[in-house]
Amino acid sequence: MSMFGSGSSTSPAAPKSSADVKASIVQQLQQEAAMNNARLLIEKINENCFDACIPAPGSSMSSQESGCVSSCMDKYIQLWNISSKTYISRLGQEQKRMA
Amino acid sequence: MDPQTQMDISNLSEADKKDLSQILQNESQKTTIQQSVHQLSDICFKKCIAGRPITSGALDRSEEACAENCVQRWMDTQTSIITKLQNMRG
Repeated sequence: MSMFGSGSSTSPAAPKSSADVKASIVQQLQQEAAMNNARLLIEKINENCFDACIPAPGSSMSSQESGCVSSCMDKYIQLWNISSKTYISRLGQEQKRMA
Repeated sequence: MDPQTQMDISNLSEADKKDLSQILQNESQKTTIQQSVHQLSDICFKKCIAGRPITSGALDRSEEACAENCVQRWMDTQTSIITKLQNMRG
């Protein structure tokens, strides 16, 4: 299941105070959110760059194909950043219009 | 949830419970936005990048503009669908 090791078993000694419990819940929450975000990104890059770079899978990956995957990944991440910026600024505008 | 964690939760003060619920709400909102960005990136990559051979690792100007327009027009589409549905109901 987990590609990046086990993020769940962080506390062998049970934290006692309320603040400790809160901190460990928040930490686990953020870890899982980050993991989920990374997993989704990998999944989408894999899908799109496989489509773009490996039209006819051969018996091994050529250097041209792996170069393409690397460029494709760079492009995808840049596009992700533009989407994120544009989407969030648009959300802000819509919110202002509603108010 | 293992019993250990459940025991821990009962140690939470009321103030921390309230705090946590707020944090949870914020995280949940963040996740929703992130998922939309993933979905939009997927859609806009297919519209703006796919179909032509990938020759460099950088977006060119037209690809950048396409990505931005793609997100904006996708949201226009969403808005106009909602407006139309509201009109149909009213």
